[in-house]
Amino acid sequence: MPLHDASYKHWDGVHVGVWGRRMAIARNGLTACLQNKFTRQLVMVCWITSLLASSVLFFVGQLLVADSFVVLWMENLNPQLQAFARLLSTWLEQHPEISVRTTQNVFFYYYSVYLMRFSIFALGMAIPLLITGDLASNAIVIYSSKAVSRGDYLLGKFATAFGLLALTWFGPVFAAWLMGNMLAPDWRFFWHSRVAIGHVFLFGLSSMFFLSLLALGVSSISSKQKTTTALWFIWWILGGVLTPIAMQTKPWLRHLSFNFNLDQIALAVFNIGEDIRLAQDNIPILGEMLRGIRARTMEALTNPATGGSVIALVLMAGAAMWFIHKKVKPE
Amino acid sequence: MKYSKDSIICLPETGFEPKVRSEMEPPLVIETESLSKSFGKQKALDGLNLKVSAGAIGLLGPNGAGKSTFMKCLLQLQPITSGSAKLLGREVGKEGREIRKRVGYTPEQDCHIPGMVGCEYVTYCAELCGLPFQVARQRAHEMLDFVGMGQERYRKVDTYSTGMKQRLKLAQAIVHDPEIVFLDEPTNGLDPKGQAQILELVHSLWRTFGISVVVSSHLLHDVDRICEQIIIIARGKVLVHDTLENLKSRKRGAAEVVVADRHSELRQACLQRQWACELLPNGHLKVEHKAESLNPLLQLLHDLKLAPLEIIPSPNALEETFVQALEISHAAA
Repeated sequence: MPLHDASYKHWDGVHVGVWGRRMAIARNGLTACLQNKFTRQLVMVCWITSLLASSVLFFVGQLLVADSFVVLWMENLNPQLQAFARLLSTWLEQHPEISVRTTQNVFFYYYSVYLMRFSIFALGMAIPLLITGDLASNAIVIYSSKAVSRGDYLLGKFATAFGLLALTWFGPVFAAWLMGNMLAPDWRFFWHSRVAIGHVFLFGLSSMFFLSLLALGVSSISSKQKTTTALWFIWWILGGVLTPIAMQTKPWLRHLSFNFNLDQIALAVFNIGEDIRLAQDNIPILGEMLRGIRARTMEALTNPATGGSVIALVLMAGAAMWFIHKKVKPE
Repeated sequence: MKYSKDSIICLPETGFEPKVRSEMEPPLVIETESLSKSFGKQKALDGLNLKVSAGAIGLLGPNGAGKSTFMKCLLQLQPITSGSAKLLGREVGKEGREIRKRVGYTPEQDCHIPGMVGCEYVTYCAELCGLPFQVARQRAHEMLDFVGMGQERYRKVDTYSTGMKQRLKLAQAIVHDPEIVFLDEPTNGLDPKGQAQILELVHSLWRTFGISVVVSSHLLHDVDRICEQIIIIARGKVLVHDTLENLKSRKRGAAEVVVADRHSELRQACLQRQWACELLPNGHLKVEHKAESLNPLLQLLHDLKLAPLEIIPSPNALEETFVQALEISHAAA
């Protein structure tokens, strides 16, 4: 028995607004995701890559500093790398506004796209905790009987998925940009890299929106946690495996993979082909090194299937919303 | 509080019509007008007309009568097919969040959030009702104390026994200090001791703290113990809506007498007065004295110089009313 007064007490305080309640759902969902040890480790790995990425940017910045340890270190490398470093250094000195923009745009394209894989994995681990678990345990009835609407519930769950993506993807990428440029020898690096970070925002936020929606859709398909988790990973992995095959036979089939569609959007947003061309022109040795890239690869980099990918993602989002509409009900 | 003394039994065709109301009556908490709910061709609720005042309200009916559907329609867990309803004076379907902020609900089935411990769960439920986190956490502990949960609150809900889950459900329903609480079969799966404890808590909500409770049950005994108003639903229609007192007054003429000894002497005296008398398995004597008041029975006990331990007037009034209402309903169907 409690030692203190255990009788009922009335409460007449001020209620928090509807956004406070939505954020409570998001916070609770995110806490549940982070209770998984593997997800926590994944988040840590993502932030370690962020440190590594900012180190790379720091090294690139040091190329501009005469007699910096990076320059001295590169003196001891093989002649080809030495030449590359000198040319890059010269380019950075002569046209910082173009060179910083280009190098960081290319860098953040690759970093964003590769870190996206980690976040898709993390999202797969969180799938049962989004809607599936609530359907299985009838918790959806409890939500529906509280002062939140179905829309509030879904917004809260959407924010959970979005928050997890921010933690494993957007956060580390943004932190890498921030730290990398803070460690740069010139504050103007922030200004010169504005296009790159703009692309990160555009691609990152739009992809996070679609991925969160797709995750909610998959999570609402069944009340069996193994089923929804398997569905997510099968869709992701199968899409990755089938894309090269579909390229040879029926190219439109590639759009069934959300990963492929997001990759195409990334190419379109970062306009990576143009940057590679620019770098080739300004650093002749890089041009020599990249000459080996097949024309087909270059074509894929410069002409992504943007239209088809956008349509496919919109259709996928529509299907996800349909599933959510059909399945997320109290009874 | 003062209720209409008129007892009302409504046939399915007529629906419930409220009779003379006193100025002292408590405010209406539930108002429905031709409320209907269909699942395909099957009508779960068929034109319900109700005006229910604040209090402890028992919602009775056989399984599948429409009790849970009625509650769910009021809470908007189920959309209304036709008609209208007001809960706490607000239109159901238009002010969902505002209504649910002032309403508590314990569903019949288990519905916890997996992986959460008891106190986290109740805190979270309070936050969903709009309480700030710190307040929610404090109130969660207060409510868990109130429902009699000790250290179990720090265990995962998945590991709880049925009794603990029922207590937890009650705690989450009242954590935000609602004005009315809907309890769907709150004693399901509980042993007699657990039932008594839950009913005692529910009883205190209205009696002591002024929170209206609507208890849906098919167990007449539960409702008889804690409710003041009775609504009997069958086949989606309201058959009876009245105070328990009125229902009992209509069934006066019988009583259960508990005496320590001299059972046979009392029985003999009753039979001499041509009152039917039966010794029940629990040792009580059921006497049908046929009078409106208990005075003739008390007079008899006085004459016999017999001090009763307890007299239970109209012990089966609710059961008889329930059966009678169902019979009328069946006949009308």
